[in-house]
Amino acid sequence: MSDKHSQFSRRTVLKTSGVAAAVGLAGCTGGDGGDGGGSGTENEVEVVHWWTAGGESDAIQALIEGFESEYSDLSVNNNEAPGGAGSALSTEIQDRVLQDNAPSTFQIWPGGSLQTYTESDVLADISDSVWDSEMEDAYKEGVRDLSQDDNGNYVAVPLNIHRLNNLFYNVDVLDSAGVDPSTLSSPADLLSAMETIDAETDAAPMAQSTQSAWTVLQLWEDVLVGEAGVETYEAVLESGVEENEDAVRSALQTVVDYREYFNADAGSVAWDEANNDVINGEAAFMHQGDWAAGQYESSEGFDFEDSWDHVPFPGTEGVYHIVTDSFVKPEPNPSPDATDAWLSYVGSVDGQERFNPIKGSIPARTDVPDDAFGPFLSRQREDFDNSNAQPATIAHGTGVSPQVKSNFEEAFASFAGEWNVDRTYSDLTDAF
Amino acid sequence: MDTNQSPDSDPPTETVSTDGGLPVEATESTESTLQRWRRSELVKSLPFWLPATLLVGLFVYGAIGWNFIISLTDWQGLRRVTYNPAEFDLDNYFEFFGKVAEGGLLGGPQEYWAFRNTFVLLILFTVVALIVGLLLALLVDQKIRFENSFRTVFLLPMSLSFVVTAVFWAWMYNPSSGMINEGLRLVGLGAITQNWISDPQFKLFAVIFALIWQFSGYCMVVYLAGLRAIPTDQYEAAKVDGANTLKMYWRVIIPQLRASTTSAAVVLMVFALKAFDFLFVMFGTQPGRSADILALMMYREAFAGTANWAYASAIATILFVMALGVISPYLYRQYKRGAL
Repeated sequence: MSDKHSQFSRRTVLKTSGVAAAVGLAGCTGGDGGDGGGSGTENEVEVVHWWTAGGESDAIQALIEGFESEYSDLSVNNNEAPGGAGSALSTEIQDRVLQDNAPSTFQIWPGGSLQTYTESDVLADISDSVWDSEMEDAYKEGVRDLSQDDNGNYVAVPLNIHRLNNLFYNVDVLDSAGVDPSTLSSPADLLSAMETIDAETDAAPMAQSTQSAWTVLQLWEDVLVGEAGVETYEAVLESGVEENEDAVRSALQTVVDYREYFNADAGSVAWDEANNDVINGEAAFMHQGDWAAGQYESSEGFDFEDSWDHVPFPGTEGVYHIVTDSFVKPEPNPSPDATDAWLSYVGSVDGQERFNPIKGSIPARTDVPDDAFGPFLSRQREDFDNSNAQPATIAHGTGVSPQVKSNFEEAFASFAGEWNVDRTYSDLTDAF
Repeated sequence: MDTNQSPDSDPPTETVSTDGGLPVEATESTESTLQRWRRSELVKSLPFWLPATLLVGLFVYGAIGWNFIISLTDWQGLRRVTYNPAEFDLDNYFEFFGKVAEGGLLGGPQEYWAFRNTFVLLILFTVVALIVGLLLALLVDQKIRFENSFRTVFLLPMSLSFVVTAVFWAWMYNPSSGMINEGLRLVGLGAITQNWISDPQFKLFAVIFALIWQFSGYCMVVYLAGLRAIPTDQYEAAKVDGANTLKMYWRVIIPQLRASTTSAAVVLMVFALKAFDFLFVMFGTQPGRSADILALMMYREAFAGTANWAYASAIATILFVMALGVISPYLYRQYKRGAL
C-alpha cells in the first residue's frame, strides 16, 4: 500500500506541477499585455511618448523635471514607445485602450488623429478641468481648433509647434549660383531658381527623400498651398480633391518637375541623410519641417545666416503650416486628478518654456518669453505671431482622419517612383 | 518531503508486483475502476502532453480561430468588438476579393497589387532560390578544398536578421553611392545602373534578389544533405553505363533530390508569404503599389492608425489559408508515406 501511495503522490506531483506550469505560463502571457501599465497609483502620471532620440529625449526630461518640481506630491512614470512619428506608440495605446488599461496620458498629433479616439469616446472632455480662459487666450485659433473634438469640447493640450512650410538653403551654394531666395514668391519661381543652380553649380538643387511617402506628401501639400492658397488647400482637407482638380493636378505636376532636381539618391535615403547634402554643400535647398534645423545647429562650423538660412516655402508667406504634438486624457483614467495637473502643466508657460528650446520647436502658447530661444526659433516665433493662417497637415496627422491619411500615403508611396500625375490623381479621388 | 521520497527509491521488485495485477483483484470493484483509470496509459501520459497541448491549442489554434471570428465582424476603431453570430458575415472577404478582381494587367486597387505581388514574390523567390541553392550544392559537393568554409559562407546570410540585411541592402542599392551601381560602373556597365529600390519597375525584384541571396544558402544545405544521401554506387553505375556528367546529374542525381526540393520549397514558400520584416525595414508601412504585399497590408490596416481590425483579420486569414495550401499537400504526402 505504501508503495501505491508513493506512486500516486509522484503522479500527483507531476500532474500538479504540469498544471501549475500551464497556469503560470498562461498567467505570464496574459499579463504581458499590461506591460508597464496599471501598476501606477493615483499620484503617478504615466506618460507615453515617442521622444526617444537625443534632443527630444532631453526636452521631455526637462518637461518632466519641471512638472515634478511644481507638483512635488506627484510623480511621472516616463514610458517611452520608440518609433518615429509614433508608429509603435499608436499600436501600443490602441491595444491598451481596448484592454481598459489606458495610461494616464499619451502623446498624439491633435486634430484628425484624435478621430479614432473621439469616435469611440475614449478621450475625456477637459474643457473645464484644464482649459481655463487664461490658457484659451494664450493659444491661437488654428491651434485651439485642433485641440477640440467634433462637438467643440477640448480633449487635447498642444505642447509645441513645428513649422512645415520651410525652405532651408545652403548660403554658399546659392551665392555661387547667384540666386536670391528672398525673391522667390511662388513654387514656379523655385523651379526656375533650381534650373539656375543646376546650370551654375555641381550641387543638387534640392535635397529630398522620396523613400517614404510622407516627405513627398508634405512637399506636395506646401506646393499646393503655395500655388493655390490656403483656402483651396483647406477645402481639399475638408472635402477631397475633386472640387479642386486643377489645383491638385497642377501641384502634383510641379512636384514631378522638381523631381528632376532632387539628389540622385533621393529614393534610397531618409530625409536626414538627404539633409546632410545641404550641410556638405552638395545640395542647395531642402523642404522640410523645422526639426531639420536641429541637424544644422549641431554641425560644427555651419552657422545660422552665415552657412544656412531659411525662407518660408515660396508662395506661403504669412502661412504657418503647423505640425503639433499634444497630450490627451484617456478615459477611464488611472490617475484622473494627476493627469489634469500634467495637462495643465503641458499647457503652461513654464512647461513650454522648458521643453521647446531643447526640442527645437516653438511653444504652442504665444506668451512664452523669448529669452531661451535661439535666433532661428525667435524668427520662427515672430513669423508665427504675424501669421494669418495656421492650416493643419495631412502628412502629420492633424488635418485628416487616420484613414484618409493612410490613403494619401498609399497614393504618394506609389507617386514617388511612378511620378504619374493622372494615376495619382485618381488614387486621391478614392482617398476620402 | 523525505518521507515521500524514500518509497520512491525502494527496490523495483515490489513495483513490479503491484503492476502484476494480482493485488488489484483483491480490492473491491469500485476502487478498482478508479485505480484502473488512474493507471491507464492515457492518464499516465497526461502530464507530458496536456500542458503543451493546452498552451498550443489556446495560443496558436485558439488565436487562429479567434482571428477568423473577428474577420466575420465589422470591428473597427477602439470600441469593444461585439460577437453577435447573427451579424457574422463574409463581407470583408467579399470586399477584399472584389477589389482584387477589379484589377487588370496595368491597374487596380491596392488589394490587387498586394495580392499579385505576394504571388510574384512567392513563385519567383522560391524557384530561383531553389535553383541557386541546387547549383551551389552541386559545386560544393565536388570535393573541393575548404568545403566547410564555403558552406559556412553560403549559409551565413541566413543567420542574419532581416533588419540587418534590409538596411545594408538598402545601402548597396543606393543609386549614387551604393555598391551595386558603383560595381556596374567599375566594369563599364554604367548604362544599366538603376534606381533599384525607388523605381517601381525594379523595386519588388530588388527585394526578391536580396531575399534569394539570403535564402539560397539554406537551400544549398538541404540539397547537400540530399546529395550526400545518394549512394556512390549510383554515380559509378551511371559512369559505367557511359553517361556524361551532365546526363548523370540530369537523369540520375537531380531526380533523387525530389524530397529535398519539396521540403525546402515548403519552407521558402511559407516564408515568402510572411516576408514582412524585410519590406517593412526597407519601405515602412507604405511601399507603394509596386512592392506592397499582403503581410504589410494586413499590418497597415490594423496597426498603422486606421484600426480596421476586422478587415486586417480577413487578410490574415487569407494569408493563413494560402500557407495551409502550400503546406497541406506536403503533409498529406508525408502522411501517405507513413512519415508522420
